[in-house]
Amino acid sequence: MGITLKQSKKSSVIRLEGAVDIGSAAELKTMLLRACGSGREVRVMLDEVTDLDVTAVQLIWAARRLAEGAGMAFTLAGTMPESVSSALGLAALQQFLVPLDAS
Amino acid sequence: MARKADQFKNAFREEAREVLVDLESALLELNENRGDAELVGRVFRALHTIKGSGAMFGFEDLAAFTHNLENAFDEVRNGRLKIGAELIDLTLAALDQIRAMLEESQAATPPVDQAVCAEILAGVRHLTGKPEKESAGARPAKPESDNGAGCEAGSGIDSGVDMDQIHEWSIHFAPGADFMLNGANPLLLLRELGLLGGLALRASMAAVPPLEELDPERCYLSWDMVLATSAERDGIRDVFIFVEDSCELTIEAVTSAASRSDRMTAAGEDPNSAQTNTASVNTADLTAKGLEDIRATSGGRRHYDAPDNASSLRVPAAKLDQFVNLVGELVTVQARLSEIVAQRDDVEIAAVSEEIERLTSSLRENSMNIRMMPIRATFEKFRRLVHDLARDLGKKVELTIAGAETELDKTVIDQLGDPLMHLIRNSMDHGIELPDLRVARGKRSTATIHLSARHSGASVLIEVSDDGGGIDAEAVQRRAVERGLVVAGTQLSERETFAMLFQPGFSTARQVTDVSGRGVGMDVVRQRVDSLRGSIDVTSQPGRGTRVTLRLPLTLAIIDGLLVSVGEACYVLPLANILECIELTLADIQRANGKHMANVREEIVPYIRLREHFNIPTPRPEIEQIMVVQTEQGRYGFVVDRVLGNCQTVIKNLGRFYRHVQLVSGATILGNGRVALILDPERLAEDAVRAISHCARGRPAGAALRAGR
Repeated sequence: MGITLKQSKKSSVIRLEGAVDIGSAAELKTMLLRACGSGREVRVMLDEVTDLDVTAVQLIWAARRLAEGAGMAFTLAGTMPESVSSALGLAALQQFLVPLDAS
Repeated sequence: MARKADQFKNAFREEAREVLVDLESALLELNENRGDAELVGRVFRALHTIKGSGAMFGFEDLAAFTHNLENAFDEVRNGRLKIGAELIDLTLAALDQIRAMLEESQAATPPVDQAVCAEILAGVRHLTGKPEKESAGARPAKPESDNGAGCEAGSGIDSGVDMDQIHEWSIHFAPGADFMLNGANPLLLLRELGLLGGLALRASMAAVPPLEELDPERCYLSWDMVLATSAERDGIRDVFIFVEDSCELTIEAVTSAASRSDRMTAAGEDPNSAQTNTASVNTADLTAKGLEDIRATSGGRRHYDAPDNASSLRVPAAKLDQFVNLVGELVTVQARLSEIVAQRDDVEIAAVSEEIERLTSSLRENSMNIRMMPIRATFEKFRRLVHDLARDLGKKVELTIAGAETELDKTVIDQLGDPLMHLIRNSMDHGIELPDLRVARGKRSTATIHLSARHSGASVLIEVSDDGGGIDAEAVQRRAVERGLVVAGTQLSERETFAMLFQPGFSTARQVTDVSGRGVGMDVVRQRVDSLRGSIDVTSQPGRGTRVTLRLPLTLAIIDGLLVSVGEACYVLPLANILECIELTLADIQRANGKHMANVREEIVPYIRLREHFNIPTPRPEIEQIMVVQTEQGRYGFVVDRVLGNCQTVIKNLGRFYRHVQLVSGATILGNGRVALILDPERLAEDAVRAISHCARGRPAGAALRAGR
């Protein structure tokens, strides 16, 4: 499990790895706030996650709303593993995390 | 976090125990009515609940084990497997293992016997004819594998289910603030729900606050769903059983296509708007067609249900006890306030005091009501005992239950299990004859044990009766003489004879068996009933059967009483027993020629003068009061000097030293700080009758507040 934030001149990239759930929700919020506060494009990488729970979904969704409200690009990149997307699909949550590549 | 998880596990244990009790009684009922589909459904739902929730709270072994049983009952539900004694016995044995698994991590509980578990599973597999790997390996953690994606197009519905029984339910589910912190996971719940049938759902982000204000450990999402299933409302509710207190949940039957789509649209705001927090259409669309198909097959059958407003809250019993204690204190203080106000001439304070009295009274009534529970669960658990014992003893016995809805105080119910168990064991072992002997005696080969409960005044009567051989009164008397309890040649009444049965170590059984005969059980019954301030009555007819009646107080906390005085002493009589209050003048006494009889509207009521009964030396007033009281022995009058008025009576124990005092059921503290004894009208009447019959036999009337048996 891990959440890493890399900031470059152009963008802030948050990479999610392993199970991202209530145990790491506070950390994810901090990272997302920091990324959104940078004023650069925010990019969240989802291809390494093995589990996402509702706390992660709602944080990412709120961050996207915040970034887009401030006129920043917010991108969900990478394809989640099938097991994660189908688990979210059963709760009708996958459409909140549809990968949208700004490019 | 770990403590939270433990708390949640404990809550699961508590609720699972209740589900197991229901499961057990459903199984035993099913044993008697093997074709009852509703009972099969009840068993299946209970197993399903234990499995699903068990997995959710980390009881994986328990969930995997239960899964096998659930499979077996699914086969039964679909008509592929017939209910037989073997399946019932296996499932009952499995219940014991599930119980052990539930308690395993608790201290001082024996470990689960894996060998027994394996044996049970092998038995179940043998019945269902499923190969080992499929049955044993199917962990509920991966339910998709056995039921497909429950969410889509109704694929989760069993093929064997009659489409006529599919109904649609509109469900709104919004986890509360501490839902996630309690260890619950909404995704697992939704997946569980999907297993019940075709589920179309829409998630809403409407309540999610801006990121800065968002509490990362809270679930703000909510879901609106339409579920097409053969399960009933209770079955759906069962999925949420362990989280019901920490979420918002409504389940309504969908009555028309229009209302369903209204509901789904309302749930996700306007689907056409580009509002950022609106979820786009999702599986609902995929599922919509599936639902329409299901509806088409169902022959247009609709269910019109009343809106479900039932909601309940689980509160630890200790908190409730504390609450009732506080109410008790309040009642005592309020009595003191009323006393002080009565001595002053202040209209304003008097008005406030009256208001407080009124409020205290309704607060007391409410708090007492909260503690009241139906006796059903206690009664139902004896089905298993009777079933198992009958098998062990080679007897045929059916248990019938009446008045299971009778409510009594939780404390009383908690303490009732042991005495009832001993009475039933005794009945099964000594009372009921073997089938051959019964037939030889011209009785039905199947014996009946009847458990019943009913209210009588401020008491509850609980009866255990059987149609066995009855008690041999002569044998009891002989044994009593042998043990030196009575002098040989003493004439004992039936009541006195049977009272011997409850002496410690008393047994007429020639043989000590596993079930009874050591003479311990009945002593336990008496001690427990005494500690509850109850009484025991035994009647028996040789060859016809025995009936044991336990009379127990409705509550052990606070009662409505009538405060009376005799000389300087004050007493409380339970208001529930009192019929009326009439004057007793000297002229009345003369008219009765000195007999203790009062003429109440042409009806003769015998009375007891408490002054004489309690040896109170003060002179009696010219006009006395007769309290006419209804007892099991009929109507009696208790003569007192004055009636002082109503009194909310907080019952206090007299303590160990006075525990054998029979005529008094406790004491209470009055507003002026004095202590008043609470009289027990039943025992008072019994004592008076006994005193009169002893007088008739030439013995002096006993001292009134004598020690008991």
